Amino acid sequence: MVRMTELIPSLQDALDKGNSPTFEGKPFVGGPPLSERRVAVVTSAGLSRRGEPLFRLGDSSYRAIPADTPASELLMSHVSPNFDRTGFMRDPNVIFPVERLYEMAGEGTIGSVAATHYSFMGAGMPQPMEPYAREVAERMKSDHVDAVVLTPV
Amino acid sequence: MSALAYFLEDEGLPTVVLSLIRAHSEAIGNPRSLWVPFELGRPLGPPNNAVFQKDVMRVALELLEVPTGPVLLADYPHDDPTAADRDDWRPPFDFAETIPDPSNSVQFAAALEDEMRTLAPFHRAFVAANQRTMVGLSGMDIEGCRQFFVSYLADPAATNPIPSVPIAEAFRRVVDDLKAYYLEAMMSANPVIPSRPQLENLFWDRTALARACLAVRIRMFADNEKVTHFMGDRGLLPGPQRHRLGLYGTL
Repeated sequence: MVRMTELIPSLQDALDKGNSPTFEGKPFVGGPPLSERRVAVVTSAGLSRRGEPLFRLGDSSYRAIPADTPASELLMSHVSPNFDRTGFMRDPNVIFPVERLYEMAGEGTIGSVAATHYSFMGAGMPQPMEPYAREVAERMKSDHVDAVVLTPV
Repeated sequence: MSALAYFLEDEGLPTVVLSLIRAHSEAIGNPRSLWVPFELGRPLGPPNNAVFQKDVMRVALELLEVPTGPVLLADYPHDDPTAADRDDWRPPFDFAETIPDPSNSVQFAAALEDEMRTLAPFHRAFVAANQRTMVGLSGMDIEGCRQFFVSYLADPAATNPIPSVPIAEAFRRVVDDLKAYYLEAMMSANPVIPSRPQLENLFWDRTALARACLAVRIRMFADNEKVTHFMGDRGLLPGPQRHRLGLYGTL
């Protein structure tokens, strides 16, 4: 199996230096069976819709992406060049698997698909992201979401 | 990503992270993580493989039904079946045998124009087949991108085509658009799908565009303006390529 930490020294350095953030408490929320859950995607890939402001250096904010957004409308403005883009070029589901969620809902594996999904840009510090993350949580709760899949890059 | 998982779970939303770096998830202790042994940038694995992707999603989502935790960290058992190099893949066009030194701005500009003219029909084929492109960050058409790229290469005080952002950020957007144009063209007109390293290594080894990026990053790194310095240091050359080309700890 591929372990990217063995291939990119800068990532290994960050881990070795203990640069991982720490948090107070260990929240762990339950819920109904998967077949009854409403699922949203939150990615840190720096996705936005054409015409929206792009992500910029140090940007901790988020973009809301309606579930019916055509794939042709998605752009990726993440500042890091270190991850693969060619998979996303061919198939947005490798990062933003909304089509897969609709299929799973149709098959009864999950209950339903959220009306809106969200993108942040990873690689920033956690603290500036916190108010935006809590705002996204409120929006998802208003949409009755009770399961979130997070897709990093 | 782990911070987002923490904040969302703290707000009462059950989360599961598709973890690409297992050691990171171990260190932070997300409420639930499924480590996936895929490339950075592909948390669901192979493109255009709905069955595989849906299995990744199913295994991840089923962690939400495990009553014990935190912390749950599971391993997805299957590798990306498309991760290996394909010996039978060739790009759909030939690159020039020699590339002029980017410091020779006239010769280099002509070589870049020739290169992009060669790519054009293959990029059109990619867009026709996929009904989408990742070109679009700069807001300029590809000819505008080429012209600004050449101008900035020759003169760091070139006119900024996106005045709302620093010129180095505008340059990065243009480079991203040009790279997307190249890589999409390289993936067209061939049923054999190359691995990610095959594509990227070819781009960085054989294209005039990449040769110029390698040259201009040295100038940008030496600049005192912080965005320009950042782009020269970490914004243009991907880490895996920096590692492969032996440029860690140097320029």
